Amino acid sequence: MALGAAWAPAAQAADPIKIGFGMALTGALAGNGKAALMSMQMWAEDVNKKGGLLGRPVELVYYDDQTKPAAVPGIYTKLLDVDKVNFVVSGYGTNVIAPLMPIAVERNLLLMGLFGMANNEKTKYKNYFQIMPSGPEPALGWSQGFFEVAAKQQPKPQTIALVGADAEYPHNALAGAREHVKHYGFKVVYDGKYPPSTVDYTPIVRAIKATNPDLVYVASYPPDTAGIIQAVHEVGLPVKMFGGGMVGLQFAALQTKLGPKLNGVMNYEFYVPEPTLSFPGINEFLARYQAQAEKAGVDPLGHYIPPFAYAYVQVLGQAVEATKSVDQKKVADYIRANEFNTIVGKVRFAPNGEWAKSRVLMVQFQNVKGSDVAQFKKAGTRVVLYPEESKSGTLIYPFSKVLK
Amino acid sequence: MGGNRYIYFAGYVVLQYIVLATAWNVLGGYTGYVNFGTAAFFATGAYSALVLILAFNATLPFQILAGALAAGLLGLGIGYLTLRLRGVFFSIATLALSVVLQTVVSNWEYVGGGKGLSIIRPKPPALFPSHAEYLFVVMVLLAAASVALAWWIEHSWVGRGLAAIRDNEEAAECMGVPTLRLKLFATTLSGCLMGVAGTPFPYYVTLVEPGSVFSLDYAVNSLAMPMIGGTTTWVGPIIGAVLLGTAQQVATVTISSELNLLIVGIVLVAFVMLAPQGIVGLVQRLFRRRGA
Repeated sequence: MALGAAWAPAAQAADPIKIGFGMALTGALAGNGKAALMSMQMWAEDVNKKGGLLGRPVELVYYDDQTKPAAVPGIYTKLLDVDKVNFVVSGYGTNVIAPLMPIAVERNLLLMGLFGMANNEKTKYKNYFQIMPSGPEPALGWSQGFFEVAAKQQPKPQTIALVGADAEYPHNALAGAREHVKHYGFKVVYDGKYPPSTVDYTPIVRAIKATNPDLVYVASYPPDTAGIIQAVHEVGLPVKMFGGGMVGLQFAALQTKLGPKLNGVMNYEFYVPEPTLSFPGINEFLARYQAQAEKAGVDPLGHYIPPFAYAYVQVLGQAVEATKSVDQKKVADYIRANEFNTIVGKVRFAPNGEWAKSRVLMVQFQNVKGSDVAQFKKAGTRVVLYPEESKSGTLIYPFSKVLK
Repeated sequence: MGGNRYIYFAGYVVLQYIVLATAWNVLGGYTGYVNFGTAAFFATGAYSALVLILAFNATLPFQILAGALAAGLLGLGIGYLTLRLRGVFFSIATLALSVVLQTVVSNWEYVGGGKGLSIIRPKPPALFPSHAEYLFVVMVLLAAASVALAWWIEHSWVGRGLAAIRDNEEAAECMGVPTLRLKLFATTLSGCLMGVAGTPFPYYVTLVEPGSVFSLDYAVNSLAMPMIGGTTTWVGPIIGAVLLGTAQQVATVTISSELNLLIVGIVLVAFVMLAPQGIVGLVQRLFRRRGA
């Protein structure tokens, strides 16, 4: 497997432009890693059909990083020193980008990152660009929408419960949420953590219910996301808004498992198939992706990582074409200074390599009926409430209305 | 873009396993006490180094000394606590140690807790163009020192004492072998060397997080490598580490993936069934037959 190559006959004459990376094809993040790889291969196919980059075919050279940070230094030195790739891009996730940063810095490489959380905070490397749209301050951007939407309601909600797993992501998300709580002047009536191995979430939901909050912000991983939503329906939670930072609801597996129980739940998203987010090329991309997804054994919707995995190499490709160069510095300078039109919309990077402006969406599940996956492929089940320019529906408020 | 540094990074991993396999063999091979907690000692080394980097910006030699000391003390402590545990019970205790330590560091915010901590490594010493070469040379020295220690144990009264414990602990004690002191020595030295193997980890990966440092790979490989190479001599763990370590490195960039551990499992089962004395035992048997 190791080496992947795809180019059209028209472009075979010239030396390929090689893009190297490690990707999680096994291990904890393999599901998303495989979907990301498939998207990148679709980009390479698209580019090569049009004659490649600078008249040269694009070749993807990749290895399985097994979702192990310790495998990254070996893989990338092999890509650079043995396979002689022209560019490297990161694999999927914060932990495999971290070991790649020093290699990029030592060798002055341009580095495109895929879904890394604040990887450049310490390094402050100017040639690093990251495609997850969490904005220049990721922890704040993540929950901005939830709090802005809440603050606009009349009468304004007063109290909030914050809850999350005792693990990496929930810690970060809740830290950002606490900043917003201060900013918007809500009163925290519950601030609790639970062990990630928790099985029964009803005691937690009962404890929250006992404090009678107006809002409940949840930062959870997939197993607890499902557990909490089920417990909310079991116990009943008469609150005004619920959700916010629940990982897992972006994927078909949990959406179809929970079905109508999702109605009224708020959550963050990066892309949903609403008419306000129909960027050029996204619908064609998703149609192709979804046609291949089942066979490849990846998420059948492909709304979360795949479009962004396509977009981060799309940015690289556009910069190579614009500079007519494969020089690391020239291409990096161009990416830093320009805006790109991608399938996930217009992308411009901040000096720290994150999106210049956060585009974390706050959506609410509405009109979910049964557990058919097809309904999530169309507009209407996850309406966008934030940001304003992408708004596609109105908030069902209070949340307790849909619980009845 | 520099020369070919890949060979140094791949070599580093193989050398790291020579240290770990040799360290495991001091307790597992010579003394007969099977340790499933390699990752705990390895992590003690890695986290000691990380603490020194965070607190004092200490250089690698100091990190190695601190890691050796901390992991050695942990080995001594475990030796004391588990003296009465033999066979499978001792092994279970070492496995539990890994779980306990992982829980502790996952909740220790100073070292990054569960999400881990990235560090920025300083410039390598003047002689070395990059960290790839520097860490490789450091690991060569550590591997050489570990093997030298194993060789010394094997050829001294200590090794004979440990072998006596392995064969029959009660009989050894009756014969006047200081079993308590020797076992403590073995757990301390073994732990110390495993810790040493972990100390360059923060500079190698630049991210120290519990998932990587407490990886099952370390426990499985450090056990499988001496078993495959041969547990009775100092050269066995080296042979095992070079063969398996290289195979895994090649697999990562060719057939790839978690097949790595599968390879180890299949080879281990094959050796346990067909050549329980490992490659060294196989070769010795071959020579004996020829001599006969």
